[in-house]
Amino acid sequence: MTSPLQESALEAAEPSAGATEITGIASKSPGQLAFARFRKDKKSMVSLYIVIFYLLAAIAAPILVKTGVLDPLTTNLHLLDANSLPSGDWWGMSWDHPLGVEPGAGRDVLSRIWYGITFSLVVALSGSLIAVTVGVALGIIAGYTGGWVDSIIGRVIDLVLAFPQTLLLLAAAPLGVALLTENLHVPEGPLSQGMFVVLVLGLFGWTGTARLIRGQVLSLREREFIDAARLFGASRRRIWFKELLPNLWAPVLVTFTLYMPAFISAEAALAYLGVSVRPPTPTLGNVLNDALQYAGADFLWFFAPAFLIALIVVSFNLLGDGLRDALDPKAER
Amino acid sequence: MAKMRKRMVALGGATAMLMATLAACGGDSGSSGNNGDGNDTPSAKGGTLLYLQHFPFESTDPQRIYYGVELANFRRTLYRSLVAFPFNEDPDIANTPVPDLATDTGTSSEGGAVWSFTLKDGIKWEDGSDITCEDFKYGASRAFADDILTGGAGFYLKGYLDIPEGGYSGPYSGKGQENFDKAVTCDGNTITYRFNKPWPDFPLSVASLMATDPYKESFDKGDKSKFTVLSNGPYKIEGNKWNVNKGATLVRNEEYDPSTDSPDLLRQANPDQIDYELYTESEPIIERLIADGGDDRNAVTAARIPPSFFSQIEGPIADRATLVESPYNSYLVPNHEKLTDVKVRQALALATNMNGRLQTLGGDKAGVPAYSIINPGLPGYSEQEQFTGHDDGDPEGAKALLEEAGVTLPYPITFTYGQSDTNDKAAAVLAEGWEKAGFKVKLDPLADTYYDIISLPDKESDVVLAGWGADWPSAMTVLPPLFDSRANFATDDDGNVTNLGQDYGAYQSDEFESLVDQAATAPDIDTQNDLLTQADTLLANDVAYIPLDTTSFYWLRGSGITGFMTDAASSSYPDLGPIGVTQ
Repeated sequence: MTSPLQESALEAAEPSAGATEITGIASKSPGQLAFARFRKDKKSMVSLYIVIFYLLAAIAAPILVKTGVLDPLTTNLHLLDANSLPSGDWWGMSWDHPLGVEPGAGRDVLSRIWYGITFSLVVALSGSLIAVTVGVALGIIAGYTGGWVDSIIGRVIDLVLAFPQTLLLLAAAPLGVALLTENLHVPEGPLSQGMFVVLVLGLFGWTGTARLIRGQVLSLREREFIDAARLFGASRRRIWFKELLPNLWAPVLVTFTLYMPAFISAEAALAYLGVSVRPPTPTLGNVLNDALQYAGADFLWFFAPAFLIALIVVSFNLLGDGLRDALDPKAER
Repeated sequence: MAKMRKRMVALGGATAMLMATLAACGGDSGSSGNNGDGNDTPSAKGGTLLYLQHFPFESTDPQRIYYGVELANFRRTLYRSLVAFPFNEDPDIANTPVPDLATDTGTSSEGGAVWSFTLKDGIKWEDGSDITCEDFKYGASRAFADDILTGGAGFYLKGYLDIPEGGYSGPYSGKGQENFDKAVTCDGNTITYRFNKPWPDFPLSVASLMATDPYKESFDKGDKSKFTVLSNGPYKIEGNKWNVNKGATLVRNEEYDPSTDSPDLLRQANPDQIDYELYTESEPIIERLIADGGDDRNAVTAARIPPSFFSQIEGPIADRATLVESPYNSYLVPNHEKLTDVKVRQALALATNMNGRLQTLGGDKAGVPAYSIINPGLPGYSEQEQFTGHDDGDPEGAKALLEEAGVTLPYPITFTYGQSDTNDKAAAVLAEGWEKAGFKVKLDPLADTYYDIISLPDKESDVVLAGWGADWPSAMTVLPPLFDSRANFATDDDGNVTNLGQDYGAYQSDEFESLVDQAATAPDIDTQNDLLTQADTLLANDVAYIPLDTTSFYWLRGSGITGFMTDAASSSYPDLGPIGVTQ
């Protein structure tokens, strides 16, 4: 990603030079500079709009389901033909069912994938939050404390990385879900299944962030303001969270944005393997899993969720890249 | 019945059977073609048949085989028995055993409690040695070593042979051998079985299952023999060992003498070679068969066409497809521990949308509505009034029943089923019908351990999904195995029920059990069937089960296959007896 990085750096340099000419004394914070750079990058802006669109859709879906506009659960067997495929041309598209109905049970495709976006995003978002929180906390502690604490956290990271997490997910899924429902009294069904996936994604995904943050902290802790804080007798916790953390928000934001697409596709892959939230509750993953076998017989049913997953994953990735380019200190200098 | 495409067969595995089907009408529903042309034009000898398997066989030891498809396959190729079912589309013929290794279909005395068979001369194992009466005796003795030889269907033989309970523990430990030697005796070439009660349909069981198949003692390595094969049929396995992960190649057995067999009834053995190729799922197999290229033209499979392929089966491809009714029924079992009010169970049955469920599974190619747990092809079948007239479900009627029962609505129930993409949708349709009637349904899809879990007495489920097919053409292998609590319940030392066996609903009725006892000792088959029909009506009125469908088998084969037939003898799987290939 060197070329977009250089581009955006150049583009960013020009207007700010221009601005200085006109106002003479305009000063800009690093955040403002980064934002200006980000806005200049069309790719990033488009992906930001798409991401916002998805988020709005995800928030709207439960409301639309409550009010009856979307109905992801009611079957419409009368709309299916003898082969249990949607009857009529264009995969059964109609005003009532703009994207047709699914083969087999005849549930509304638009409702299922729309509602599926909500569940997928909730799973990915919660997983990312856990991963980033754990990763940042351990990264700061390891980087700042050093010594045996650092080595222990480092070994734990190695261990987690070496762990076959897909296997664990597959083998321990029934056990894990049962643990959640029986010991923690999480209601059975989509909630406990979703929670299990979130926990596993989060608790196995934090290692990258931890390493990244540790590296950043290693260099930050040698800086003067940290020495100053230490001399003033600031507590460790104050240094970690009040001095170091505010200087780390750029990499944190970037990793978070890059976790999202990874977890969205991870949810889809897990749904294919039979872990994750089970039907009839739709997620993009389990909808696509069902649709895969119909790729030939009912193309739209396959294409719609596949396209939505691809679009959100690409958008989040581009957004993450754009953010990194805009926030990267090297581009600033 | 969880993952439909795989588990459907596993379900066959748990039940393995041979039985009458509606194959009389060719089982063919018009659209698909030339079922059974093998009767008119005998297939040519030679060529290689390709058999595409979609799941691995559990074992190739005859005393450990219970999958319907495997019994059907091996009876025609590797393992002969005293008597066997002939291939024929007329179920009356296909359900009547003919002599195979024995000279006749057996003689019974003492009211059916003693059976004798005389062996033919010149019958040989693939190593050239004679098949002796002792080999048969040894084979039968292996039914008692079910701690080592797990998985087979020897429990019928074990239960019937006149040996005190626990009086024999199989040939490996040899404990109680003298008891076994009294129950099964050899007199020259004649083997005699003595049972503790009349077993009038014993020859049917011999032909259907492999518990009484001969086994050569010197070849027996116990559990290590799980995948070795000493053939006595027209084929043998290259290398004597079945590769469970890959399949095997069957070549001609030089020691097999067709003059000791009835090739026109049992084994035409047309192909020179049969190649088994193993997949883990159905889709790639069906794709290959649709493409019909190269060697695949001579391919056949026991993988049913999945619904997503139905729209592709048209034109010339439809000529290679066959739709038959199978000997399997699907049904629901209400949990009698929880749904104690018969009106609630009736309401559940009334609100069950059979047609809707079938529609999600693929319409008439998936199955037809059933009105009894007994398959329509079985003697003793009769439509149960309780279940007729509401194929689409009758939520209003069901609601009225629930109100009559005076329960609080919505009435919460948990529906447990084996998870699969299609089952998920079918469950959604069933749940929708029930909810219209005033139930509140929680769906509880389970993974691989499905049957273990629904056999537990304290499960949360109110209703579970199951499937069954008879082990031989008699309802005696349907009703007692599924609803006789004495045969199913396992108890611990304190007398608490620890396992329900296959009586998933914990159903217990003295009236039913006495009817079954009367049927077991009935003087003739007709009386037996009348009693079983009565017992079935009792079950239906108690709503011990709710029938869902008689499952259809929808087969596809390569264009080079000749003599394709699915019949009662092969449990509606492709019958390898008359099959041939074009070279």
